[in-house]
Amino acid sequence: MIVLGLDTSAYVNAVGLCDSDRILADATFPARTDSLEQIVDNIDSVLGSAGLALGDVGGIGVGLGPGSWTGIRVGVTVGKILAFSTGKPVSGVSTLEALAYTARGVSRSICAVINVGAGDAVYAGIYHFTGGEIKRRGDYYTGSVEGLAALLKEPCVIAGERAASFAGIIARESGLKIEAFEASPGGAAVALLAARRLARGESDDALALTPLYLKESTAKVFNHGYDKV
Amino acid sequence: MREEVASSNRPSNKKVKSFRVSNSYRLLLDTGHFLDTCYLSVDDYMLVLGIETSCDETAAALVADGKTVLSNIVATQFDLLKKYGGVVPEVAARRHTELIGYIVKEALDSAGKTLDDVDAVAVSSKQGLIGCLMVGVAAAKSISYARRIPLIGIHHVEGHLYANRLSHPALPYPHVCLTVSGGHTMLLYVKDDRTYKMLGTTLDDAAGEAFDKVAKFLGLLYANRNTGGGRVIDELSRQGDRRAFNFPRPMLKSKDLDFSFSGLKTAVINRFKDKIARGEPLPLADIAASFQEAVVDVLVAKTMRAAWVKEVSAVSVTGGVAANRRLRQVFQETGANKNVTVFLPPLSLCTDNAAMVAAAGYARLRRGESSGLRLDVFPNAPLGV
Repeated sequence: MIVLGLDTSAYVNAVGLCDSDRILADATFPARTDSLEQIVDNIDSVLGSAGLALGDVGGIGVGLGPGSWTGIRVGVTVGKILAFSTGKPVSGVSTLEALAYTARGVSRSICAVINVGAGDAVYAGIYHFTGGEIKRRGDYYTGSVEGLAALLKEPCVIAGERAASFAGIIARESGLKIEAFEASPGGAAVALLAARRLARGESDDALALTPLYLKESTAKVFNHGYDKV
Repeated sequence: MREEVASSNRPSNKKVKSFRVSNSYRLLLDTGHFLDTCYLSVDDYMLVLGIETSCDETAAALVADGKTVLSNIVATQFDLLKKYGGVVPEVAARRHTELIGYIVKEALDSAGKTLDDVDAVAVSSKQGLIGCLMVGVAAAKSISYARRIPLIGIHHVEGHLYANRLSHPALPYPHVCLTVSGGHTMLLYVKDDRTYKMLGTTLDDAAGEAFDKVAKFLGLLYANRNTGGGRVIDELSRQGDRRAFNFPRPMLKSKDLDFSFSGLKTAVINRFKDKIARGEPLPLADIAASFQEAVVDVLVAKTMRAAWVKEVSAVSVTGGVAANRRLRQVFQETGANKNVTVFLPPLSLCTDNAAMVAAAGYARLRRGESSGLRLDVFPNAPLGV
């Protein structure tokens, strides 16, 4: 089955295509502040480069985040509405899982790390491979890199866009042997993970698909009393 | 019945004329996509799916031929308004993302249609909260791409103009239109269905915003009901004396056609903040009625002045505040006195909805326009043709 993979969580439009476990295309287009304008064009050009049209796609994979909140809303909305409009099955994929998947082949566990906005905090998830399948160990993490270091109990590979700098901090804080694997959220990784799920007959309800924010909005809850305007 | 006849006409190939395509759309045509699909017959029935997510309403609607509303689905976010005391852009955008698919499906299902029946998609892409607009536009362009149907981006305020066209097909041109909501207070001279000019706008708060803020100050907002500040004041005013307090009528005497409501809001707050600080009870109904009367006086007087300046005998009122009962009453009375016909859309078309977006989109598509798949959002776009 040909699966289209999208990920717009990292200020890029990552679009990939796979046929079962074979990558057909994997492209990343810059989208600095706006993942919206070119997203459909980019999908169309990736399909075109593989000699395909949307009608040839058997399923859709969507990177759910975490990452840019605006970015993941665009990707998830496009993914769910494309699935709804074409009647194709859709599978949401955690962007952290897709990042970890790009480092597949290493024997250690993989800690996928994504920056929270422009600050020093990170979103993270710890993954390991068993029998060719990728599994997350424990919950997602949101917080400081130092806090993440305290959670790690064994040597691992840090995967992400600033892997080397994070690995340095974590190695210093934890005293463990930490390797770095530089990787960006990619469309093909999302497509491959979605293809595996779809091949098993699992898919998500397109209309119910929601981004993985991992962080509440900072809005304050309103106190119903007299309040200054 | 009309529909059946119309749909049977739809797939015919007779007298197919092509739409003039905008530059961005042509880019796609040049690459070979859409070449055989973006043509629509000018004579044929056209079913437009409208999508609106510019503020805190997630809405979708199906409108046939720009005038028959087959469905008009609006999901409001009153529970979130209640929780946060107002619209929080990030919170609203998250809710849009959760709901958009369900709302589009509901608009289709309740009209007994599928996406196969839809000929074009119209979406609010200009004026609104950027993160919210993006969800609607992402959905609309996905449908346009997947179904190979034209896409048209609409200015939200232009959508409001078409709320009147939908409810009153006989609305004459030229006329003056007051668009008054939580986001806008704007007087427009509408020469015909494609030419309009802004005569005046608010210099600070929109009228609806003043309603919300005064309601919030009085502790009325969202406290025990699923309505916005405007409706709370509207309801409370019915038990109050509108002459109890003489609040200022900002810019009533100014020669221009602009508005200002920030000062009125502050006048209400300053008058009662000492009492509130001392914990004394307030004559809430009288305050609400007097405040509302001040807003209504200004809105009606300025709109009538605009009609007089532009020498038109018809005015239309649209936007969420047009649902206010006192405003509707005073407009009707004043219109009758001054021989000006007042057109007021039904309540379902006053507040943000997607039927008006579909109707506006239909008009632009009929004129040969379409936006193309690179459609982007413009949160502060000026109103223009």
